[in-house]
Amino acid sequence: MGTAIPRAQRPVRYTVAAVISVALVLVLVASSILNYIYLDTVAGRASLYGLLVISFIALGTFTGVRVFGRDPAERRRRFIRAGVLLGLAALVWLLLVDVIVFTDSAGPSVAVVCALVCLPTTVFGLLVLRTLDRNETEPWRLVLFATAWGAVVATSLVIWAESLWQAIAIRTLVPGPGLDVSTAFSAGILEELAKGSAVVLLFLVMRNEFDDVVDGIIYGAAIGLGFNFMESVSYMTNLYAIFAPEGVGGDAAGFQWYARQVLGLFFGHATYTAFVGAGVGIARQLPDVRRKVIAIAAGFIVAIAAHFSWDAWISAFPIDKSGFAIVEIHLRSLIITGPFTAALLALLFAGVHIEGQALAAQFRSEAALGTGAIMPEDVSILTNPWLRFRQRTRALGRGGLRAYLLSARLQSAQIDLAMDRWHRERHEVDTPMDAEEDLRRRAIGLRRELAAAIATSRG
Amino acid sequence: MVAAPIDQVRTLYRTLLVYTAVSMLVLIAGLVEFVYFEPPGQHSGLKASIAGVYQYDPERNTTIGPDRSTYPRTALFAAVVDWSSLPKDIVVDARWYDSFGNVVGSVGPATPDKLAGETAVPVHVQAPFIHLLPGRYIFVVERYEGGEPVEVIGRRVVLVEQ
Repeated sequence: MGTAIPRAQRPVRYTVAAVISVALVLVLVASSILNYIYLDTVAGRASLYGLLVISFIALGTFTGVRVFGRDPAERRRRFIRAGVLLGLAALVWLLLVDVIVFTDSAGPSVAVVCALVCLPTTVFGLLVLRTLDRNETEPWRLVLFATAWGAVVATSLVIWAESLWQAIAIRTLVPGPGLDVSTAFSAGILEELAKGSAVVLLFLVMRNEFDDVVDGIIYGAAIGLGFNFMESVSYMTNLYAIFAPEGVGGDAAGFQWYARQVLGLFFGHATYTAFVGAGVGIARQLPDVRRKVIAIAAGFIVAIAAHFSWDAWISAFPIDKSGFAIVEIHLRSLIITGPFTAALLALLFAGVHIEGQALAAQFRSEAALGTGAIMPEDVSILTNPWLRFRQRTRALGRGGLRAYLLSARLQSAQIDLAMDRWHRERHEVDTPMDAEEDLRRRAIGLRRELAAAIATSRG
Repeated sequence: MVAAPIDQVRTLYRTLLVYTAVSMLVLIAGLVEFVYFEPPGQHSGLKASIAGVYQYDPERNTTIGPDRSTYPRTALFAAVVDWSSLPKDIVVDARWYDSFGNVVGSVGPATPDKLAGETAVPVHVQAPFIHLLPGRYIFVVERYEGGEPVEVIGRRVVLVEQ
């Protein structure tokens, strides 16, 4: 939906998002300054200078666009373009810093190998999420943004805070279970806040692509997969460096890979942060602010508890050195994180069911209007991902790649229209009414283009 | 009369609230565990005197060289404690923890009198390894009460380099 919202009607959520973004940038800069002062590492200096340079460029761009941009629509486009580019610059810069931090212990070649073996499993995780999101798949750009946030921004946000908490705890607490519990609280609270902030930002800024509990779970889990990727690389390289002189570095790194990228792929960060997403997704569809706030807080509490329980009580399940160890490792995950993952799946499947029913009803209502955006014969296809795929491949056969892409865009526009109708019916939209009409026109236009593409191909 | 349809989103919301209640219990259990192992009001003001951390010769059971905070992984080291600096009626122990939280050397728990002959508390290499694992090693002198360590009365952190 490309309709620009006039400043006077701009929802307050954009202001909230801006405040959160500024707070996060300040945390990143503060973290870099503390790194610079206390650790004086290359990574600390790099992150500090990089973030300050990006902040100055952002300020310059913002001022420049405001001074020289006359047309509000053009100015908005430039702001979005500049925001995306500068956001990517900050992301790449933090990634570089992460690479320096994580390759420090074992060297770049070990880190590259660790990253390469973690990549296929993470991609597999993302593909599973996409399959589960069967009614209305989220755009790859947002899912990948969420993953990148988890991998790069969230890890950078927590690194200093966790180090500080750990340093204080080590100097004040009795080593043993008390210290373990304190560390578990630190990881649960700080990491879930850092990861969850991305879900909240997506909810505030990308409302059109954040529809319900399903979307929240998908974005949350994608952030968790990204975080899990970077954490796996970090642990693998670190343990490789520790155990390599004893000749078992590869074994130690391999075990970490299995524990985090196979066993813990879904039974870990993906589950924890998906709960934040579930809370935000449910809040998206609640009528009043009080319940919205409760739902978001509830999501964070469940995520923190799930994360905490793993970190705090993993030592209660010691692993034997016998052959039974392999069974114990799996049982441990199943017992501690399993109930949380099962509870999350229950929310996800219920959400998919509710979403599917609502969309089907809206497809039928729109088809009955006779606007041409959704035809009666489209309804059964749009409600079934396999039939949607067959329709696209049929278009490919009849009109080539262009027809395939047009068919995909048409399906996407039709689903967006039904989703918008659902939200409007539930009074969950803060965009002007003409946004729905825009979607309708878009679907009708795409249908015409598709027919023309197929006709041209045949002609 | 037709009953109003149940809003399924409300059902999801209530389910989430049930999960939250259970999660609160998990977090409360964590807090209780923390308080059990870190009971408040245990600050006695006692301070164990740790003379330093020195390189250790296991064959002669003696320490060598100056007090240091960094050691190579091939060298063993020991913390030297002056047990006479503590009251005789308390129970204490001393432990080394490696960066994984494993106890890699200890004496006690016993009264300071009984530990007088064990002033040097060395780290041990864990089987099957040949040398110490690199990382941060923490040495603590703990005061016991009711059979549990309740307070750290002396602490040193040593870095074992890769």
